[in-house]
Amino acid sequence: MEQVLVNGLYLGAQYALIALGLTLIFALMNVLNFAHGQMYVLGGFVTYTVYGQWHLPFPVALVASAVSLALIGALLEKFLFRPVIRRSKRDESTMLLAAAVAFLFDAIILLVFGEKGRGVPKILNGVLNTGTIVIPYDRILVAALAVVFIAGFMAFMQFSKPGRAMRALAQDRTAAQLMGVNVNRYSNFGFALGALLAGLVGGLLVAIVGVNSGIGGAISTKAFLMVMIGGAGVVGGAIAGGLVLGMLEAVGLTVLHAYGDITYLVIFASLMIFLAIRPNGLMGKPWG
Amino acid sequence: MAPILTVTNLTKKFSGLVAVNDVSFSLNQGEILAVIGPNGAGKSTLFKLISSFLRPTTGKVTFEGETISGRAPHAVARKGVVRTFQEATIFKALSVRDNVLVAHHLRSRAGLAGFFLGTTRARADEAEFARSTDDILGFLGLKDLADAEAGSLPQGHLRALGIAIGLATNPKVLLLDEPFAGMNHDETMRAVQLVKGVRDRGVTVMLVEHDMPAVMKISDRIVVLNFGQKIAEGTPSEIQRNQAVIDAYLGSEDESIGI
Amino acid sequence: MMSDRLQIIGYAVFAVVMLTVVPFFTVLAGRNDYLYTFTLIALLSIASAGVWITFAIGRINIGQSAYALVGGYVSAILVATYGVSFWLSIPLAGLFAACIAVVIGLPILRLRGVYFSMVTLVSTEVARLSALALPITKGAKGMVNLPMPGPIAIGGITLVPDFATLENPRIAFYYVAIILMLITFLLVWRLMRSRIGQLFVALQQNEDLAQSAGIDIARLRVIAYAISSFLGGVAGAVFSAVSQSVYPSSFTTQDSINFMLNCFLGGLGYVFGPIVGTFVLRFGWDLLFQAQRFQLLIYAAILIGLMLVLPNGLLSLIPSRKGAKR
Repeated sequence: MEQVLVNGLYLGAQYALIALGLTLIFALMNVLNFAHGQMYVLGGFVTYTVYGQWHLPFPVALVASAVSLALIGALLEKFLFRPVIRRSKRDESTMLLAAAVAFLFDAIILLVFGEKGRGVPKILNGVLNTGTIVIPYDRILVAALAVVFIAGFMAFMQFSKPGRAMRALAQDRTAAQLMGVNVNRYSNFGFALGALLAGLVGGLLVAIVGVNSGIGGAISTKAFLMVMIGGAGVVGGAIAGGLVLGMLEAVGLTVLHAYGDITYLVIFASLMIFLAIRPNGLMGKPWG
Repeated sequence: MAPILTVTNLTKKFSGLVAVNDVSFSLNQGEILAVIGPNGAGKSTLFKLISSFLRPTTGKVTFEGETISGRAPHAVARKGVVRTFQEATIFKALSVRDNVLVAHHLRSRAGLAGFFLGTTRARADEAEFARSTDDILGFLGLKDLADAEAGSLPQGHLRALGIAIGLATNPKVLLLDEPFAGMNHDETMRAVQLVKGVRDRGVTVMLVEHDMPAVMKISDRIVVLNFGQKIAEGTPSEIQRNQAVIDAYLGSEDESIGI
Repeated sequence: MMSDRLQIIGYAVFAVVMLTVVPFFTVLAGRNDYLYTFTLIALLSIASAGVWITFAIGRINIGQSAYALVGGYVSAILVATYGVSFWLSIPLAGLFAACIAVVIGLPILRLRGVYFSMVTLVSTEVARLSALALPITKGAKGMVNLPMPGPIAIGGITLVPDFATLENPRIAFYYVAIILMLITFLLVWRLMRSRIGQLFVALQQNEDLAQSAGIDIARLRVIAYAISSFLGGVAGAVFSAVSQSVYPSSFTTQDSINFMLNCFLGGLGYVFGPIVGTFVLRFGWDLLFQAQRFQLLIYAAILIGLMLVLPNGLLSLIPSRKGAKR
């Protein structure tokens, strides 16, 4: 039982970090970033290259993942999303653009890194064994780092000037503009920050599960689930959603182990029922 | 004059906050009734309760003796109680004519399948709607703009189109949500004439409004809300002399009552 | 009404070309593979037409694969397990999908924007996992070796021959798919020109206002979603017959996204947008096969480029088609 709980918390912390980036982009620009999972994979490959291939220290690799994804995010916003948002008649366009970007990233990842899954040397050896719980040290470290990043992100949004500007933007774009917030600059900043978070988790998890070019889509779907469970566009919701999905998976995989895919069937089906009853998730604003 | 619509002990609470508190009044056939009150007095909540876009916590709204509160908004509209919206709430991508045409739908005698197949009855409906649309557009001075995309209309015409959409449903009671908001003096005076014209077509009108001079000019009776409660009810001249009303407006530092 | 007539003429020309010129030359050239591609395009554009209808009421539907899968399995099970005629199984598959859509749609159509999209996305996964889990769908192995469509005969006169006896069943399937596509788009066109289409657009523009005008928005939304899913089911049913098999992975999330892209690329404001979008995307994809490992890269880059240059779809290039709006 304790083991399941620990597994759930470990998964939940990763998931929450992924969901945070997605929800940030959504809150700021009303864009559902289909390419979020691909950004995660890209981040993983950057860390793989820097840490696994060039043998630089793991923290350097993490920074490299974060910075390169932030850059990619900023470029995407400026040259793709902003012009399309400005010129299209329908809100749906950005969603489709994001889907096309996901294709593009999938193609690039496949071309550059190939189909093979990649792993890196362990960042920490050894296993914590208390009798009831068995958990490798590297997982503890990664989960702890994830928690630190989440806390850092929340503090940043709460106390820094860009954080406050982005919160104002998320609440009411027009009002924020009237208050003198530079909408373009902070949309760009927020998109970059969201991408950065995706890259960071990708980098972190390379140390545990490695990275595989084909999993971007699946990661995106999971991130959507978390955001929906918690409520789109809300920081607390993303964290709650991440923890809930992490726990569900940990419990589900234990209890329904023998049934394999049924775990996900149960999770998905209950999610549909949950959303039908509570359309805004646990703590979302009305209609996102 | 017999009441056509009655509000009885209507209360709406939002997570502990009482937005509308035990309000009762009635709307008489053929009159223009205005609901006024300082900001936050609960006017728009009351408006949504009557049009059934919100469900009351307690109390009820009856129309022609039948309880309408708690029913779906479209069902209430079908009974003949129809609301308009503040600002530019129209079908932006449709032409002005199509905005009004589509709002005729609740009058149709043919079913959806009939419209798909183009049955005789459906074609009769369409002909009738087209005739009525021309009539309404003419009445509201929108005839020349019939083919324009609705989203491109200037402010004053947008409000008229909102009323046109309301009229298309052939309402018995039309609820107007701040019909004069954001208008200058001339526009307001034209709109006042318009609303009177609507009443003269046999439609009972209830409006929620901020613009005091307009309200005084247009209303047969006025209901005043403050902090969710009804504090006064009467003719415009009675309301202007009512001490509780004057106090409420002075206390709220809202715009002057315009006496 | 001139533009109406122009559209009809244009569509008639398109129909004649698809029914005569295209099969004549592909058969002449001995390119059965092109025939197959056209068959596929026709089926995919039927499913995309469904997605287009949900776009028309202002909902982004990323769950059409679920209904295509349902349709494929219903038809396969009816034909293979219960010996029902394939021809009868097409409408039954569509109806079954539509019934499911009504049950699921009633609660989820209250959701707007991303919330609706996400739930529909999840529904694709639910359908796939259900197909894996249910005994009647035969799990991951899928249903294979489905029988060929049988004959249709009325009063002793054979209208459609038994496909198993045909020398080239590909061409027969081609005609089935193309004719279905032509009928589908004619009906959707009629639907959108009628009052129902006007109501759909009103819903898309402003649900509150529609409701205040006495329009039963819940009912209309479910109707639109049911029609959409019916088309998904029909496409899936014919697909299972064409490929003589159906697997849990026959229609995936990727396909759901593609249906959406087809509509978008053709133009959401144009009834015939999904046909154009599906043709261009699918053919583009196949042509890019030459590019080998750069196929996906070029494809994605072209998609992004089109969105930047033509954010309102390919058909927005043709100004005279303005009347085709709605």
